Amino acid sequence: MDKFLKYGLFLWLTAVICFAIAAPIPAVGSMGERARILYFHVPTAWVSTVAFVMALVYGAQYIRKRDILYDYKAAASAALGLIFAVLATVTGAIWAKFEWGAFWNWDPRQTSIFVLILVYGAYFALRSAVESEEQRAKLSSVYSILAGITVPFFVFIFPRIVDSLHPDPIVNSSGKVKMDTNMLIVFLSSLAGFTGLYAWMLNLRIRIAKLNLKESR
Amino acid sequence: MDFLTQNQNFVVLGVTLILWLGVFLYMLSLDKKLKNIEKE
Repeated sequence: MDKFLKYGLFLWLTAVICFAIAAPIPAVGSMGERARILYFHVPTAWVSTVAFVMALVYGAQYIRKRDILYDYKAAASAALGLIFAVLATVTGAIWAKFEWGAFWNWDPRQTSIFVLILVYGAYFALRSAVESEEQRAKLSSVYSILAGITVPFFVFIFPRIVDSLHPDPIVNSSGKVKMDTNMLIVFLSSLAGFTGLYAWMLNLRIRIAKLNLKESR
Repeated sequence: MDFLTQNQNFVVLGVTLILWLGVFLYMLSLDKKLKNIEKE
């Protein structure tokens, strides 16, 4: 990644953090200051979704081209997705403690992200269980495609078809964005910043995988 | 002390910025190390 981009990302996310925590926000239902979780919790969930979809894409590319590097890329993206999914779960659970009175309520959103964590946990269990590199790449690429197909269902569909205490998604059932303009700007900037952070992390992990690959050959 | 209890958001802001700076510096150093190994 270009030096300019890295320092730009640092400044961008620093500004996002400052606005997200210190800028005044309008009253959002009964949430008060707790509504600020939106700026961090939703972007982590978003990045995990992007990372899982990218793992699907790399898995499919491995199946097409049989280049082992794509398998490493899929694993790198899935690992980042798992980390961000855990971050989204933890931040959501802390928010739930103060808003709903308990860390865990088996709310549809909590249940769906929990299932996703299990699905991708199983992906790494599968990878560690197969010794042959080629066999592992084949099996885990097919698994990452199948797992990736379930992601939109667990993230976008399931929580919308079951009654939930979770606040309305940004684009809600009426199909409209209902958010204060200033909050929306900070929120979208945070989404962009977190996506940039994911891109940089993925870039680092892929470069490490390339070096490992070079050394093993 | 009174300032901090009345402005808890700034305490959170300080802690979050320190954490972010730590993550950024770690990633930057990792990037530099990788660049050096790639050059070899």
